[in-house]
Amino acid sequence: MKYTDYYATLGVERDASAEDIRKAYRRLARRYHPDISSEDDAEAKFKEVNEAYQVLSDPEQKEAYDQLGRHRSGEEFRPSGDWGGQVWQEGGLEDFDLAELLERLGQRAASQAAGRQAGGREAGGRRRAGAPFSMRGQDYEASATISLEDAARGVEVSLDLSVPEPTADGAVRRVSRTTRVRVPRGVVDGERLRVAGRGGPGYGDGPPGDLYLDIHLQAHPLFRAVSHDLYLEVPITPWEAVLGAEIELPTLDGRVKVAVKPGAKAGQKLRLAGKGLPRRGEGAGDLYGVLQLVTPTVISEKERELYRELAAASSFDPRAPFTPVQTHA
Amino acid sequence: MPDDLPLLPDREDPIVLEELMAASGLAHEEVVELVEFGALAFEQRGTSWLFHSRTLVLARRAARLRDDFGLNTPGMAVALAYLERIERLERRLRELEACLPTNDSTDAGQEPWPA
Repeated sequence: MKYTDYYATLGVERDASAEDIRKAYRRLARRYHPDISSEDDAEAKFKEVNEAYQVLSDPEQKEAYDQLGRHRSGEEFRPSGDWGGQVWQEGGLEDFDLAELLERLGQRAASQAAGRQAGGREAGGRRRAGAPFSMRGQDYEASATISLEDAARGVEVSLDLSVPEPTADGAVRRVSRTTRVRVPRGVVDGERLRVAGRGGPGYGDGPPGDLYLDIHLQAHPLFRAVSHDLYLEVPITPWEAVLGAEIELPTLDGRVKVAVKPGAKAGQKLRLAGKGLPRRGEGAGDLYGVLQLVTPTVISEKERELYRELAAASSFDPRAPFTPVQTHA
Repeated sequence: MPDDLPLLPDREDPIVLEELMAASGLAHEEVVELVEFGALAFEQRGTSWLFHSRTLVLARRAARLRDDFGLNTPGMAVALAYLERIERLERRLRELEACLPTNDSTDAGQEPWPA
């Protein structure tokens, strides 16, 4: 079993008071809470901090943990003496998780054996004390990264879940389970889908938990998605911008012809209504072609000559506002 | 096996109050107060309240903030409002970013044209 230094995780001394531990937790929670932080590894950090606090804020778990002595984080160790004997009789320690063992120690009553998984969240929050034991199953959380095309069509995804499972002797170990979910058409990036009743089984008469699935959209080589709208960068030549043109644009379902009006500007948007991602139910977002003026880097002598002719013939001065105003005395 | 493939409906069924409470971990009075603050939207159908699944995501977030920071209902309502505002701003930022050219090269060390 691997050791985790919970005091180091919270950045407190081993003799820190309960109040100091609470303060350190609050500070780190504010920094790494997944609802607040935008740091990339915030969620993983928050889980570590949360696990450390769960153990150190519970007097029984803290005492059991302190009995383990000091080890380096990540060091393999085998608890000895009373501590070990209370939890298991023989073997298989590698499969166990320190936090889960401590939790078992801290919550010996059978009614509480089915508690929070390490790093996970218990569904339904607080349990009423003294009520006959019956608890809603745990919620599972998973994420899936799908392509824009799949988001538009709907897709079946396969999820690998690591779920806690009680063993015959009442301990908890994590097992992997694969479950498949059909994601309906019309999901957007960052959407959180709930699959009711597909979480962990309930305890006693409790209902099963739910499965929550976070949807991420893969970057697309052409389209950028903002909710249900799609943005497409459309390069046009200077003469197309001046003269106008009929151009062909790709969409998620085939190519369409659109008109660029004469005098088009860079940054101008061509809106193709309903050509974005479909919404759940009916309707769809829009596709915006954003015009970008591009100039050729290699040109023929003939083209150069024509540009010179154009320069000589044109009176257009886009920098007129820069010209200093002549003041007369 | 077909049982292994839960189908998410294209159209969502609304969630009743009891289900919202069970799935989020919010207590009845907390839901009532958050609704009064305008933090959770509901639909009145007869005598019962119906919620959208998007509201359940908000309710779970509120319960997490309560558990992790010890927030009371006004605190949860304020936090939810700020988070919603941040999401709106981020969406607007993504819209604007999506309009920028991807290979916008700025010539940093531009020398004045020789006179």
